[in-house]
Amino acid sequence: MKKLLTAFVGSMALSAAPMAMSAEATKELKMAYDADPVTLDIHEQLSGGMLQLSHMTFDPLLRWTKDLGFEARLAESWERVDETTMRFKLREGVKFHSGNELTAEDVKFTFERLKSSPDYKAIFRPFTEVRIVDDHTFELVTEKPYPLLLNAATYIFPMDSEFYSGETEDGKAKDLIDKKGGSFASRNMSGTGPFVVADRQQGVRVEFERFDDYWDTESPGNVGKIVLTPIKENNTRVSALLSGGVDYIAPVPPTDLDRIRNDKNVDLVTMTGTRIIMFQLNQERVEAFKNPKVREAIAYAVNQEGIAAKIMKGFATPAAQMSPEGYQGHNPNLKPRYDIAKAQELMKEAGYEDGFTITMMAPNNRYVNDDKIAQAVAAMLSRINIKVDLKTLPKAQYWPEFDDRAADMMMIGWHADTEDSANFYEFLTFCPDSETGAGQYNAGNYCNPELDKLVEMANVETDLDKRAEMLQTVEQRLYEDAAFIPLHWQDLAWAAKKNVKIEPVLNVMNFPYLGDLVIE
Amino acid sequence: MTTATLSRWDRFRDSFFWYSFKRDKVAIASFLVLMLMVFAAVFAPLLAPTDPYDLTQIDIMNSELPPVGLSGSDAAFPLGTDAQGRDLLSTILYGTRVSLMIGFGAVVLQAALGILFGLLAGYLGGRVDAILMRIADVQLSFSTLMVAIIVGAVVKATFGSLMFGEIAIYMLIFIIGVSEWPQIARTVRASVLAEKKKEYVDAAKVMGFGTPRIMFRHILPNTLSPIFVIATVQIANAIISEAALSFLGLGMPETQPSLGSLIKSGFDYIQSGSWWITLIPGLVLVVLVLVINLLGDWLRDVMNPRLYKG
Repeated sequence: MKKLLTAFVGSMALSAAPMAMSAEATKELKMAYDADPVTLDIHEQLSGGMLQLSHMTFDPLLRWTKDLGFEARLAESWERVDETTMRFKLREGVKFHSGNELTAEDVKFTFERLKSSPDYKAIFRPFTEVRIVDDHTFELVTEKPYPLLLNAATYIFPMDSEFYSGETEDGKAKDLIDKKGGSFASRNMSGTGPFVVADRQQGVRVEFERFDDYWDTESPGNVGKIVLTPIKENNTRVSALLSGGVDYIAPVPPTDLDRIRNDKNVDLVTMTGTRIIMFQLNQERVEAFKNPKVREAIAYAVNQEGIAAKIMKGFATPAAQMSPEGYQGHNPNLKPRYDIAKAQELMKEAGYEDGFTITMMAPNNRYVNDDKIAQAVAAMLSRINIKVDLKTLPKAQYWPEFDDRAADMMMIGWHADTEDSANFYEFLTFCPDSETGAGQYNAGNYCNPELDKLVEMANVETDLDKRAEMLQTVEQRLYEDAAFIPLHWQDLAWAAKKNVKIEPVLNVMNFPYLGDLVIE
Repeated sequence: MTTATLSRWDRFRDSFFWYSFKRDKVAIASFLVLMLMVFAAVFAPLLAPTDPYDLTQIDIMNSELPPVGLSGSDAAFPLGTDAQGRDLLSTILYGTRVSLMIGFGAVVLQAALGILFGLLAGYLGGRVDAILMRIADVQLSFSTLMVAIIVGAVVKATFGSLMFGEIAIYMLIFIIGVSEWPQIARTVRASVLAEKKKEYVDAAKVMGFGTPRIMFRHILPNTLSPIFVIATVQIANAIISEAALSFLGLGMPETQPSLGSLIKSGFDYIQSGSWWITLIPGLVLVVLVLVINLLGDWLRDVMNPRLYKG
């Protein structure tokens, strides 16, 4: 009997040993977002969804921490060489999913691809080159002293230069960036990140598996497999979490916050957001929008506080400008200016008392309650006799329409990529210039070269007080000009089962670092 | 009193139809409820406190107010408001109007097509019968939903969504009418097959009447009773189809809500407190369809010759 027992215990120990070793990353995470990634090419589109994918399948040189400091990732260390040069030391022994090793050559390749990407080139405009020192050392050079160098470096996710070089069978370059889709990079990827895309059916599900040779062995993350299912309907997504169908959801609709807070099996995490939601008035398409009075009338007709209180259930901060509080450009004097009588007066002064008809487009699964907000704004504009032909689309179809500037009023939400006000202006109000990438998301075609110059001066201003003053002036002038219609800064909310510890991996940028996620 | 002086109304009051109606409490109640709803729907512009299609009357600050009697309600909105701040009572009145219009319109279209093709197929027989009935089979194999998706997408793309709002109701009548005509055609054909062997048809033929006259003046009146029964049920079906299409976002636009799109717009809120946006229009829809179905049932019993005076 004793013999039998020892044999039994022995065999248990033997079988347990390999299990203990692989218990590292065996947990499976089922998650539901409102939408799945539009493409696999991380440089095709500058959007929250793409950056979330980037953080799962790639690694940046450095990344933001929760308290907005920097954390070394693929760059081990960095030091300033002179006013315009920063030297980075790359981590050694980092492998791409394809098996290739990460070198400074890959960083240079990625940098050049970013410079050619229509969406990213504006962020990297202050940079001139990546100078390779040796295999694991390189220098990032800017044209002039640039205070936001490290901020921009959080957007450099080195790509596998070997994997993305050469031509496909039909003769297209593998590193081609095609916003209409169908490029090699939009279907294949090789990064250094914690997860590999194992299977992807657009709009249905994406399966990620943990990368066996992931360099960050210190990461506490123990998730071996992620299944991402897009669930567009708010109510369905929340029900999926509460019924146990999925482990983690984002975003959480404001209407369901209490329901989730009251559920004892689920944790809710909320943060005050910095993403501005706004409408742009296309002056190229509508003659009337060229008239500042008409734009101002619209600004007066929109009730930001109503939207924030009712549609967002107080889960947003009404906005009258783009820079949220805490940013250098935030101008505390600017307040939402809802006043219907004044708006009607302005329309009359502008000679559009009888109004006109415009088209409006908004996504219906990108921002929290985006379609409901658009409907409410359409109703508000009817008060000043502007008839709105509203169309709401899923984001996969919305962005191509946005790139074509397909409607007179289009909704966009923007989170400053550099955590700095200047980024808002560069992308949303600069005179559009496809050469430099300025105004890439300026669907209003608002153009004021004077303000552009002021922002550019602020960008090289190292005296922070002076810089803040300049940026606040810009914000003030945009407000007076009613260059766009700001709505609110959207708060952030995520929810997960109690055993899924999402809180430590979340941040105000809304880039969950799922590689470090721990499931108990 | 001679038969000649008997007015239509007297004849109606003497009929078995009226007799059985008077005795059936369910039928009376259903009929009253239906008439009430039809009346409310027809006079919606006069009865409704606000015009829900007029966006200028909507204020976002009034959104999601509960019905009177619950805390936070406003007496101006007896049934509460939806997420955009529309008065729910007005919206339901207008929505019922849209639903009824689509229900009746679609059935008139179905009946026109169904009777014509059913008569032709049944009376002429042979090749005409074979072709028409195969067309009906093909038509039945397309689901209403699929036809609606295709037609809706084409119409939306060609006219733009603002124009689409104006023609959506006709489009839905067309879709539901066209996709369901075989139901009526088959019933008519079956009755015609039975009728055309009867003596009065032979008599008419001997008298030298033309085919169209025999079809429409002699046979059609004798096949009407099943058509009435099936038409009533089809009205209920058409209303349900419209609600389903609108719920899926293929029907009436959100700016002109029908009952279906109203139910949909409240769906996000049903578990987060604002249940009335979905529940009240849902109840109205259920009641509407239920009374029509009950009337249909009663009509079937009355018109069934086997149960006649039984």
